Amino acid sequence: MLDKILTEFLEQGLAIHIGTRDARLRPNGCMVTAVRVEDEGRQLVAFIPKAVTPAVFDDLRSNGRAALSFTRPSDDKAVQVKGEFVSEADVSEADEAFAKQQWGGFLNQLDLIGLPAKATSTWTLWPCVAVRIRVTALFSQTPGPEAGAVLR
Amino acid sequence: MSLGLETMAPCFQGIVPAMFFTCDTEGIPNAAFLSHVDYVDPTHVALSFQFFNKSRRNISENPYALVRVIDPDTHQGYALRLKYARSETSGPLFDRMFLRIEAIASYTGLKGIFKLKAADIYEVESVDLVPEQPGVKERWSPRSRVRQENAVFTMKAMQEMSARINTADSLESLLESILSGLKEHLGFSHSMILLAGEKPGTLVTIASRGYPQRGAGAEVKFGDGIIGVSAEAQKPIRISGLLRGMLHARAVAMRAMEAGWSPDREVPLPGLENPESQLGVPLVVRGELIGVLCIESETPYRFHEDDKVTIEMLGSHLAVAIQSMQLRESEDAMATPRAVAPPPAAPSRSGSHREVTYYRGEEVLMVDGEYLIRSLPARILWKLLTTKKREGRSEFTNRELRLDKSLKLPDYKDNLETRLLLLRRRLEEKGPDIRMVQKGRGRFALEVGCEIDLVEKA
Repeated sequence: MLDKILTEFLEQGLAIHIGTRDARLRPNGCMVTAVRVEDEGRQLVAFIPKAVTPAVFDDLRSNGRAALSFTRPSDDKAVQVKGEFVSEADVSEADEAFAKQQWGGFLNQLDLIGLPAKATSTWTLWPCVAVRIRVTALFSQTPGPEAGAVLR
Repeated sequence: MSLGLETMAPCFQGIVPAMFFTCDTEGIPNAAFLSHVDYVDPTHVALSFQFFNKSRRNISENPYALVRVIDPDTHQGYALRLKYARSETSGPLFDRMFLRIEAIASYTGLKGIFKLKAADIYEVESVDLVPEQPGVKERWSPRSRVRQENAVFTMKAMQEMSARINTADSLESLLESILSGLKEHLGFSHSMILLAGEKPGTLVTIASRGYPQRGAGAEVKFGDGIIGVSAEAQKPIRISGLLRGMLHARAVAMRAMEAGWSPDREVPLPGLENPESQLGVPLVVRGELIGVLCIESETPYRFHEDDKVTIEMLGSHLAVAIQSMQLRESEDAMATPRAVAPPPAAPSRSGSHREVTYYRGEEVLMVDGEYLIRSLPARILWKLLTTKKREGRSEFTNRELRLDKSLKLPDYKDNLETRLLLLRRRLEEKGPDIRMVQKGRGRFALEVGCEIDLVEKA
């Protein structure tokens, strides 16, 4: 579902957020440190900081619905991935190296728009939980009249 | 509410984009960036509604939302639980958001596409700190720039400005005094004043400060950029995080072009290459637009919402002062007798030579093939140069110009003194061999420091 071009886009180091909802359809959401596309683009692993509001994990475990927003700060190019929660797991050392490298890419993006890396130095983006999501739909989210168009 | 919205003003400047979470009635969540969350009152915020996107559709089905904002100075994240209340398509809040977006749209050729449809008002049910985004205790200065902690338009600064305005004895000294006062008392290094142009719906730069070029004579059309939009609406416009806003608008433009849309004309930024904050203050007297004061800064959050009232007050005061000075100079000039004084010895630079060409049809004056000025100031300078050549006279009065039918001055409010000031500024910048030197109220000398060939073309 996520082809090579989209995978490269999603893994380059972007502003990533995950949106969830509770049983009353009230939304919740938080930042995501990094993502890795797996299973030939059918699934992705979202590295979600353990420090985030517990509501996001509660929502994922209870109803599984998720929306992941990916935005490149330097040009606002954005994609939204809708999906279903599959599983969660502790992260490995390899995961940590992967996620931190991707986070570095995001900081480079922030630098391009004049926000230095030190601006995020207090944020608690690690340790993370590796949350596996099955991709169900893809949408363009670059702002404009065509935002929301289905991708492939 | 656990935290007060009124203490979070920096979060609502559009400097760091916000994240907006919604959910449809099928239970599918949505997460999308928002360019701007606006403060309304201690219990409400407004979100701009520009496109019928998924977030907007979700809200029409399910009014509950979560928005996350970041303080651009401390980088503390905040989560605001919202409930949609209403949409406004007119009124002060809508106007404020509309004009800001309109100015950015004109800079990016997006007028008509990047447009506010409504200001969506949300009740804020709770505000919580975002646990994974704790901020620093001390406010961070972006790119070593210091954020102004307090409102800059203080009463003391306003008094200092008033004192300057009241002691000015000419339009030129008044304009200079205003711009230098903005720097000395308010700390604004980059500012310009534009006055109503000869052509309806235009403004002309008459004075500026802090830029490499003075830009005298530069024209701005109503509706173009912060100056033109402010003039057209006769309302002040404050933009923080301009570069972020333009980045967002450019993303919209790219997307729209992919869909076959052709961009409108891009309006150049007025002065600074990379301004982060801009303020456009219309100078209005009894409903009549006198001009616009434009202030720019490279600091993202330079003008505060709290300053709105004092900004409008300053604008009114400046407008009255400028209009009064224009009228006074005009009356003084009419009381001045026709000049017949002998010509002063003009400093002649041996060997220096210029060709001044007047294109009668277009009313444009060129010096050595380079554009100098057009319309009334061009007619005036041509008149002065030809009179000097024909009669050998160098001193002139505003009165004789005002009475000269060939110059085609408007019968009512001719703004001659303003046009003469513009001409003088333009000559200083583009034709320094020709100078207009003030010789008292309503009287000046034309000094020419080189040999001049006068060429008239149809």
